[in-house]
Amino acid sequence: MKTTKQLYSYYLVLPALLIYSIFFVIPAFAGFYYSFTDWRMDRLTLEFIGWNNFRTIFSDKTLILALKNTLIFAVVTVLGKNLVGIALAVALNMKLRTRNLLRAIFYSPSILSILVIGIIFTPILRTEGTLNHVFDTLGLHSLSQAWLTNPNIVVFTIAMISIWQHAGFQMAIYLAGLQSISNEYYEAATIDGAGSWKKFTNITLPLLLPAININVMLTLIGGLKVFSEVFVLTGGGPGNASQVVGTIILRAFGEGNWGLGTAINTLLFVAVTIIAIPLLIFMRRKEVAE
Amino acid sequence: MGFSRKLTIRNYIVEGFLLLSSLLILLPVMIMIIGSFKTSAEVLDFSLKFPKKWMFSNYMTVFREGGIGRAFLNSVVITGISSVINIVASSAASFILARRETKFANTLYMYFFMGLIAPMSTITTIRIVQWMGFYGSVTSVILIYASLNTAFSVFLYSGFIKTIPKALDEVAFLEGAGVFSVFFRIVTPLILPVNATVAIMVFMSVWNDITIPLYFLTDSSTWTMPLSIYNFYGKFSRDWNLIFANLVLTSLPVFILYLFGQKYIVSGLTAGAVKG
Repeated sequence: MKTTKQLYSYYLVLPALLIYSIFFVIPAFAGFYYSFTDWRMDRLTLEFIGWNNFRTIFSDKTLILALKNTLIFAVVTVLGKNLVGIALAVALNMKLRTRNLLRAIFYSPSILSILVIGIIFTPILRTEGTLNHVFDTLGLHSLSQAWLTNPNIVVFTIAMISIWQHAGFQMAIYLAGLQSISNEYYEAATIDGAGSWKKFTNITLPLLLPAININVMLTLIGGLKVFSEVFVLTGGGPGNASQVVGTIILRAFGEGNWGLGTAINTLLFVAVTIIAIPLLIFMRRKEVAE
Repeated sequence: MGFSRKLTIRNYIVEGFLLLSSLLILLPVMIMIIGSFKTSAEVLDFSLKFPKKWMFSNYMTVFREGGIGRAFLNSVVITGISSVINIVASSAASFILARRETKFANTLYMYFFMGLIAPMSTITTIRIVQWMGFYGSVTSVILIYASLNTAFSVFLYSGFIKTIPKALDEVAFLEGAGVFSVFFRIVTPLILPVNATVAIMVFMSVWNDITIPLYFLTDSSTWTMPLSIYNFYGKFSRDWNLIFANLVLTSLPVFILYLFGQKYIVSGLTAGAVKG
């Protein structure tokens, strides 16, 4: 006689396990091995070269800049998407007549391909483009910028576009979180004479922690893996000013430096894991404690 | 009385501010839509001015010269098949993992969950696909998408299947049903709404993606819609009206899906927000 547990045969896990292992897990682990080789497109043999690829990464100015840009992009977008997302969610949780329409409008850019958005913004953000034209008309000449061609601000411009696109997605998750908070808390607080800000910090924020947790994780991981935004908007330029880890890997791939490209990917893998896992554990604990 | 009036005034101010901010989203999209009906000279002001004559023929030109039909079919095949594979494989796996509740099952769940965090290793995946002999093919891209979305789907399905009482399958087992018929006859009908959520989420992310085709589709005749715009953008870089028409056509399928599938998107997001 089989116990009930054994009735749930692992055969049903097999297809998912095979597809996921072959096309995701095995390449990831193979990546660790190839990171320590001089693997190139144009050679059949490869040699083990120890830490050389990593030494190259940390001595190459462009690669260091790419690491720095990736971090800047991740931090700016985590803050922007979550602050705007929470603000929109709280506002659109109020009883407003147009709230369903407004929710749909703010969510809608996140269903578009980044390629579509990148191409729309190209003429808008040009130095002679629509945005600067609007600023000039309003008499705000000082706000006009070379948005995509000034090396000092290009990463921030790309981050702003990413926030423009995705803050509505974060808003939707925060809205779902807000709707799971019982109204009784707010009623009790009103009786105790708490103001709006006090209710927000003492009730909304703590009870929104699961949603904040998932959103910070999603935006942070997404931010570190950034590729398409940069690829579409600047291709890493001007010069190399907006290169990020994702575009550098594509460049290394194109140049045939597969060992080096894999090493950069491994670095990203380690960084994401080191940042994400403790944060996941820490936030889970905090949630329980609340 | 005074208090509630103060609240109403506050709501008006918030609403007004939000309506104004929504222009930030709407204006760029409007520039694209209006621009797609202009002549190639008119469109260059990138403004909200309506065209003198609405050029519906722009869309015909894009269909004729942009190879849109082919790219559309490629997108449908790749997106459709990878979603189906992903749904069947992930829901079956989640069913077992959610029911077993053993340490091993839990470890397997974590093994899948890691896929939500870790970045994909593109270059070595190419190596594996080459070694299996189908690099550059549509099949490889379908399997890669099915694989990349496994973590997210297993996460959603597991949460939902745990809320279905085990008693239902135990009765079926007692009557002599096997695990396959329990899964397909009892569990599958109950998880249909989750299937819709996963289908829409996977469909949208695959439809819009450019990274995988860029690395894995070496032959431009197999390109998906977003990537084929890139080609078009290079070829017609002076005809912004045609480029805009192409962008509108590429966005239309996901927009229609969004209109009809909103309910399922929201329920997917709710699962994420509540379970964290």
